Amino acid sequence: MSLSARNLSLNLSDTALLDDVGLDVLPGQIITVLGPNGAGKTTLLRVLAGELQPDSGNVSLNNRKLAEWTPRQRARILAVLPQHSLLNFPFTAAEVVMLGRTPHDSGLVHDREIVAQALKAVDGDYLAGRVYTQLSGGEKQRVHLARVLAQIWAPCPEGERFLLLDEPTSSFDLAHQQLTLDVVRNLAMQGVGILMVVHDLNLAARCADHMILMQCGRLAIAGAPAEVLQRDIIARVFQVDATIGTHPLTGTPLVIT
Amino acid sequence: MRWMLPSQLLTIMGVILLPLVLVGLMMGPVWIAPAEVLRAFGEHFGASPSSAGAQEGLILFAIRLPRVILAGLVGICLAVCGTAMQGLFRNPLADPSLIGVSSGASAGASLMIVLGGGALLQGGQAAGLSVVALGAFAGGFLAVVLVYRLATSAIGTSVATMLLAGIAISALAGALNSLFMFLADDEMLRRISLWQMGSLDAANWPRVWIAGLAVAMLLMLLPREANALNALLLGESEARHLGIAVDAVKRKLILLTAMAIGVSVAVAGTISFVGLIVPHIVRLLIGPDHRYLIPASAMAGAILLILADAAARVVVAPAELPAGILTALLGTPFFLSLLAQKRRVEVG
Repeated sequence: MSLSARNLSLNLSDTALLDDVGLDVLPGQIITVLGPNGAGKTTLLRVLAGELQPDSGNVSLNNRKLAEWTPRQRARILAVLPQHSLLNFPFTAAEVVMLGRTPHDSGLVHDREIVAQALKAVDGDYLAGRVYTQLSGGEKQRVHLARVLAQIWAPCPEGERFLLLDEPTSSFDLAHQQLTLDVVRNLAMQGVGILMVVHDLNLAARCADHMILMQCGRLAIAGAPAEVLQRDIIARVFQVDATIGTHPLTGTPLVIT
Repeated sequence: MRWMLPSQLLTIMGVILLPLVLVGLMMGPVWIAPAEVLRAFGEHFGASPSSAGAQEGLILFAIRLPRVILAGLVGICLAVCGTAMQGLFRNPLADPSLIGVSSGASAGASLMIVLGGGALLQGGQAAGLSVVALGAFAGGFLAVVLVYRLATSAIGTSVATMLLAGIAISALAGALNSLFMFLADDEMLRRISLWQMGSLDAANWPRVWIAGLAVAMLLMLLPREANALNALLLGESEARHLGIAVDAVKRKLILLTAMAIGVSVAVAGTISFVGLIVPHIVRLLIGPDHRYLIPASAMAGAILLILADAAARVVVAPAELPAGILTALLGTPFFLSLLAQKRRVEVG
């Protein structure tokens, strides 16, 4: 059981957005995807989510091709947190989180309970009755994090659950960046497989079991954080001269630029 | 932020609706007292018949009752389709005319008036619908199908392209409409402009049945998509990630809207602002959840149009105003005040 991609290629008018990319997200594993702007990180995420069709290669979810799942069944075990949301209607935060329960038939009482817990998990219980459109950017992003949490809250007969996140911490302050990492780690401990696009190398290093570094639509290198975050690799992919240290508490690599 | 619970709003409107129908039946060039109305109903439905008040009975059952019911049905079509379009376009300022249905219908009706002239208008009737009404339905439906086709490619239907195609097709239909008006003589011109103002004065029972059928289909099929519409407000990708078959939902919404608005334009002409204003107001009152927004908008649309039509019959009595003028006259200031309020909230 895994979320697996094999030989993904995708071209858009002669530009290769993805070029022979393959990876496996295993249950309970946290994978972070890094790379300079335009390296194909978001494209990869969208292909994994079934939103874009690759020109060649395929994605399978729990040993079934992505296209063979009904949209509803797939949504019960695969959730996606986008970078931005277009929502411009005055739902309350609790109603937005409740939208995460759309693919389930678990009943209103049960769903309400899950919504309350999901909001609590993102430190947002005080947001429940507030109108979404009047929240700050960071609060909105937390509401959406709670929404995808609610979507894959409990184990499902459809199999292992997976969560894809596109720069989940981009609009968060330090405390909520930390909170997001805790939420993600917590999910992984429950057996959810996680793939996360992150820009901050140190943040990525702190939570990842496995790292993927992308460049021009290709996997530049993949491996444990200590293998990927090397001075020469960072110089090659990001064109930045960096010093690599060790985090004094966690022992994970620390990139100083 | 929210004024009331959905159940409260539905109860209030339910309480208003019946007295309003009674008022609608009373008002007009011939004033019929409430007691008379009730007595006539008693007679009509089985109680001892009497010859007294036969004229009132005729006015009530041949003219006013179908008219009030038709006003309610058309109000439901316009308001519910407005709700669906605002949800689909994720824009609280959208309305059914965005996808070309109104201008297409106008062009269709004008063509029929110019082609047929007076003869067809008096003579040509099919199932209680004049040839003009059939032309309007065909024109509106054709415009929507064109818009939908233009916006649909192998990878799905683009809502943004649909918006642009809607503007283009509306412009084209507007040009055709102007061309037909240019070709028309004075009598035809007057008919065209009266038709475009929208009015319920041609109400009869066959029209009520046709509109009733459209409303029944609409209210049976659209509420099933309430969850999908809610998810669509997040954006199309997010709705897909939540397990919604987005393209199938879009096709269904567009076809239902084309059908219902086509029918409503055919039986009552183009009545503006109901499709825009009603969902907007209801959303302000009870929030954007489509599970409640659809039924509440349906009732509010019915109430607004029954009210506007009743007023249309009395403000310039013994003549009557086209109801479309009243909805726009009442709707525009209200809408502008909403916009001003929204600006204040955003600034303050």
